[in-house]
Amino acid sequence: MLRMAEALRRALNLGSSAESEEYTTEAGPPLLLLGGPGSGKTSLLFTAALEAAGEGRGPILFLTQRPLQSLPRGRGAVLDPLRLQKIRFQYPPSTHELLQLLCSAHEARGPAPSLLLLDGLEEYLVGDWGPQEVAYLAALLLDTAAHFSHQIGPGHGCGLIVALQIQEEGDSGDALQLSLLQRYFPAQCWLQVDAQGPGQHCLRACLDPGGQGPRAEWWVAFQPDGEMTVTPWPAQTGNPSSDKGSSSEGQP
Amino acid sequence: MAVALPGVTLPSVVEELLSEMAAAVQENAQIPDEHLLSLKFIFGSSAIQALDLVDRQSITLISSPSGRRVYQVLGSSGRTYLCLASCHYCSCPAFAFSVLRKNDSLLCKHLLAVYLSQVTRTCRQLKVSDKQLTDILFTKKKQEA
Repeated sequence: MLRMAEALRRALNLGSSAESEEYTTEAGPPLLLLGGPGSGKTSLLFTAALEAAGEGRGPILFLTQRPLQSLPRGRGAVLDPLRLQKIRFQYPPSTHELLQLLCSAHEARGPAPSLLLLDGLEEYLVGDWGPQEVAYLAALLLDTAAHFSHQIGPGHGCGLIVALQIQEEGDSGDALQLSLLQRYFPAQCWLQVDAQGPGQHCLRACLDPGGQGPRAEWWVAFQPDGEMTVTPWPAQTGNPSSDKGSSSEGQP
Repeated sequence: MAVALPGVTLPSVVEELLSEMAAAVQENAQIPDEHLLSLKFIFGSSAIQALDLVDRQSITLISSPSGRRVYQVLGSSGRTYLCLASCHYCSCPAFAFSVLRKNDSLLCKHLLAVYLSQVTRTCRQLKVSDKQLTDILFTKKKQEA
């Protein structure tokens, strides 16, 4: 199993009691978390941060343009202050400052992060961005995580998860940008609103670990009070080929 | 690795070729002709240009006390390009066009030269301060923007 996907998988696996899978500390390929507006990307990212904070490894670096408005609910036992303390939030207000932060990450003192998270990548990709600029930002994210891995030492790596808001289908403007990002983030998790799932606001999460393991799917449901529940997608154990065409995955 | 991840790793056939070349260089201090032919077969004219860059010792590995590293390649035009050590990125126009936009090349000649200089161990080494490395990474961005 890949650690990168593992943090997210553990975040998604909360609903199931089966925790038989052995946990490894190897950082897998970087992961892109994709979904439309309000698809729970921030909640999942934060849950992944809390999960990683409970591993007893380095701090978690959480980059986002603005502070979280609310914390995911229903995880009382895990939302303990010791875990929260391990999450270091930084709020680069512009692309310029984000790039500066990544370029100078090696100047920071203290223990290297075990997980690097970036929420709202789309907010940093506004304006006139050519392919090379988009690629450089993606490559710098990878390079920063690679440097943290190098600092941590062999056997343990720094994971990287980046959340990107995508437009609903039909908007081709971001196709090149998305395919560029997918080049650097081979593992992807797609979030789609699913009216048939349990709960008021339900999403289907599909994790493709970049050809390094089987795809897996979950339902992520948000109750009116903000509580988040995660259950394995039922089709997983049934006919795995029946849901092939329903995901928006793949090159546009 | 079963699948090549285009931004992160090389296809396994290229990985194998590079490691065979590295072993041959260690043994005989030169790259065997058959390996050069394979390289030409996979990368076309970029292979020759990349070998030329290696011959001219145009590749510099810049590192700072933090352990972070980056490559700088002096192109045939006299311009220097930045290549990241951890994933496939080069600041040259060919990388932007042929690799990123058209997706019809695997690497540009500068990135290939970086790989080949690792094989032949002919990288120049430059030690800079952590702050200077930040400037190298960040200035590159400003020049392009």
